[in-house]
Amino acid sequence: MTQLNDRIFGVLMLVLAVAYGWGATQFPVPFGGSEAVGPETFPKVLAVVLALSSLYLMFKPDPDNAWPKGRIILELVIAVLVLVAYTLLLQPLGFIPSTLLAVGTLCWRMGAAPVRAYVTGAVAGVVVYLLFTYALNLALPLGVLSVLEGS
Amino acid sequence: METLGFLIDGFGVALAPHNLMFALIGAFLGTLIGALPGLGPANGVAILIPLAFTLGLPPETALIMLTSVYAGAMYGGRISSILLNIPGDEPAMMTCLDGYPMAQKGKAAEALAISAIASFMGSLIATIGLILLAPLLAKFALTFGAAEYFALFVLAFATLGGITGKNPVKTILAAAIGLMIATVGIDSTGTQRYTFGILKLYEGVDFIIAIVGLFAISELLFFIEDRAGGGKGPMKVNKLTLSFKEVREIMPSSIRGGILGFIAGVLPGAGASLGSFIGYTLEKKVVGKKGYFGEGDPRGVAGPEAGNNGASSGALVPMLTLGVPGSGTTAVLLALLISMNITPGPLMFTQHADIVWGVIAALLIGNFLLLLLNIPLVGIFVKLLSVPPKYLLPIVTMVAFVGIYSISNSAFDLYFMVAFGVLGYFLRKLEIPMVPIILGLLLGPEMEKNLRHALTLSDGDWTVLWSSGLAIGLWVVAFVGLVLPYIVGPILRRRMKAAQELTD
Repeated sequence: MTQLNDRIFGVLMLVLAVAYGWGATQFPVPFGGSEAVGPETFPKVLAVVLALSSLYLMFKPDPDNAWPKGRIILELVIAVLVLVAYTLLLQPLGFIPSTLLAVGTLCWRMGAAPVRAYVTGAVAGVVVYLLFTYALNLALPLGVLSVLEGS
Repeated sequence: METLGFLIDGFGVALAPHNLMFALIGAFLGTLIGALPGLGPANGVAILIPLAFTLGLPPETALIMLTSVYAGAMYGGRISSILLNIPGDEPAMMTCLDGYPMAQKGKAAEALAISAIASFMGSLIATIGLILLAPLLAKFALTFGAAEYFALFVLAFATLGGITGKNPVKTILAAAIGLMIATVGIDSTGTQRYTFGILKLYEGVDFIIAIVGLFAISELLFFIEDRAGGGKGPMKVNKLTLSFKEVREIMPSSIRGGILGFIAGVLPGAGASLGSFIGYTLEKKVVGKKGYFGEGDPRGVAGPEAGNNGASSGALVPMLTLGVPGSGTTAVLLALLISMNITPGPLMFTQHADIVWGVIAALLIGNFLLLLLNIPLVGIFVKLLSVPPKYLLPIVTMVAFVGIYSISNSAFDLYFMVAFGVLGYFLRKLEIPMVPIILGLLLGPEMEKNLRHALTLSDGDWTVLWSSGLAIGLWVVAFVGLVLPYIVGPILRRRMKAAQELTD
């Protein structure tokens, strides 16, 4: 069993601690001159704590958890991309269509049959939209469906 | 008895029709969240916070609703331990020991009803304990100075891993990360820290976004990795035949479990896992040879269930009186308080007495509601258990998105949430605990304020932090809390496992 994960993470955190601590020394001197305690005091303490605990991890790491392989990595990347795309499309496309796409794709990729997945997405989108608009009085973007609004 | 007067006022708040309605909604949603696969209580409460905001609920109503959710999630969590032998979270592990054998003997409905009654007793006892203990503790906490508070915060982090925690260094590391994120933004002297000139970061990182990202989004990713989208087949529950005599028989067990659980919940770092564990072991000791533990003894269900619920109500004591939560879910409740501009701690009992006592009264009422809700409606909750996560989790994720979006209408926040989700996935893989990060985010500003305050008064002399007896005591407890898991943790975990294997 390897222990590489914790070691690498320890190195990364050590770098972060040094960068963070260095950042704290760069704050401009507050108005009225520097005092015994200032904006930099607490961050410096934190940098030391983080540095010490990351050193511990580097020298006494726990056994690794297995990372996903091949296809699963792809699935995870797809899921994150779907979430990013959902954010991207939420305003221009509107809540209902983008929810249909996002929830549908996620259900499908998690193993649901495609038709049922997208039906779930559509139903969830419409129900939540109606709930927010009429029961909670909150506006969600209508997007491309706003043509329906005028009628 | 001024406490009684406050409590009556509290009932006045909690019994207001709209508050009662939200308590009922909360209890129902909570049980649902507890029963649904892949949604822990902390997770569920986190997702509901943005909704409580967007609804524009007044603080006491929002808090009443979410405490009901909290209580309900504890009720719901046991359904899968009893029917499937799959504990929803660590404290539920002990319920499996006798709950599942009962279900196998065709007494699932009785096991569920008994656990509902025991949960009710546990919560009831703990809530009474809370009513008695909290005002005293709040009064005591008023004597705390800045240095004592700083030590108290350190104690909170040190004991957060709990007795069953694995690697204390990872807890410290996680706390440091959380506190570091909390320093982002403009500080009290107007200095910009780690904002990199990004306007959105000037006000700091919104902890609700971080919580939802770390919990909900990373959960989705974990389910995808485990390919655990299939769900379980439908389950059947027999018709309930519970006699009054049987209920009477489990009462002593419930009362013992509830008292023990409450004590475990109040103590820093012990938490619900320990509550249910000692609830079960004590039951076994007291009943002795007459019992048939591990083969479906009702008392083996009642003891740990009462302990578990007693502990979860007990955990509210340090959260309300000191502003220091002892568990993940109470940390999330603290997030709600802070974002409602209420600073928890001793002053809350005087400044926001109506809210505090309203919530405490709501806990009592919520427990009655839950008992009424749970016995007849258990069939519905059981059906929900078989909802496959492949449909459920995408919808939950969507609700989280809508909640965050409706707070700020900003896409930036959503990207931030997704980024936190990815971060959470990696951290969980490395077994870095999430709760200290959240707690760091929440307590960071207060902790820094107290540190600065103490140091300014002493002109930069760091020894002020451990100059009073009280402060030294807190530091000692913090140190013990950090070291103890190294010694006791493996033993306790081994025993819990051994008990589990014995029944398998």
